[in-house]
Amino acid sequence: MNFTCTVCLYKKLPFYPADYEICPCCGTEFGNDDERVPHASLRAEWIARGADWFFRDPPEGWNPWLQLIEGGAAQEVPHFAVNFRMQFNTTVKPPEINWGTGPILNPV
Amino acid sequence: MLKPYVFVACEKVIIDQSIGPPPPTGSGPASLINLFSKIIVEVDTEIPANAVGPKEWAIFSMWDVEPGDENKHYILCTSMLYPDGRQFGEVTRIPIPVILGQRSQMVIRISGFPLGQAGFYTARTWIEESQQTVFGPIEFKIELQVIVTKQQQPHLQ
Repeated sequence: MNFTCTVCLYKKLPFYPADYEICPCCGTEFGNDDERVPHASLRAEWIARGADWFFRDPPEGWNPWLQLIEGGAAQEVPHFAVNFRMQFNTTVKPPEINWGTGPILNPV
Repeated sequence: MLKPYVFVACEKVIIDQSIGPPPPTGSGPASLINLFSKIIVEVDTEIPANAVGPKEWAIFSMWDVEPGDENKHYILCTSMLYPDGRQFGEVTRIPIPVILGQRSQMVIRISGFPLGQAGFYTARTWIEESQQTVFGPIEFKIELQVIVTKQQQPHLQ
């Protein structure tokens, strides 16, 4: 069973966030670090430090900003872009496209 | 074996839930909003390589069912790769509901789009059965263009 860190919102804690366990993602020691400091403040501090993974190597594909967005804290993610738009009618010409072996509706 | 019929990226998928279960495996009629193949972002400063824009989008796929598939326990696996091949986010693994005579449709909702590398991102999907790949992977590309709008600093005399 997995639990969610109340600070960084990492969803795969193997323990309940309490009893001096330490989040491998943000390094919060539950019951100590959060004894007098609110979780939101600890989260802001973690983000200000760069939102880096704390213990050993992060899981493959891990991204702190995606984690915050999926955890419902999108408003705390830095605004990296000033404008964002999707184009639906462009022809994308990557180096190669692998359409696999099965039949597929391949765009002309 | 399931055969891919549709595999696209779009801004939103609306599934008619009056007919079947809700996404990600809803079987009701699907409406795809704003299929896209390119994203253009404007930035006014250097952004980190792991930057993400909080933009919801989805990867939608439909699969033709063949006789014999109804007894299989297929898992649809989907991943997103940076232009340099590194993985963005987790690989999603969702059981595919298989009903003979119906196409199976799957919606993978993603809460953000990576912004840190310009170039061609890869959306990749494959099917596993008993933890073995039995189809794919198949993939398509999404181009990310980054425009830096940083204003030039005036030269001081």
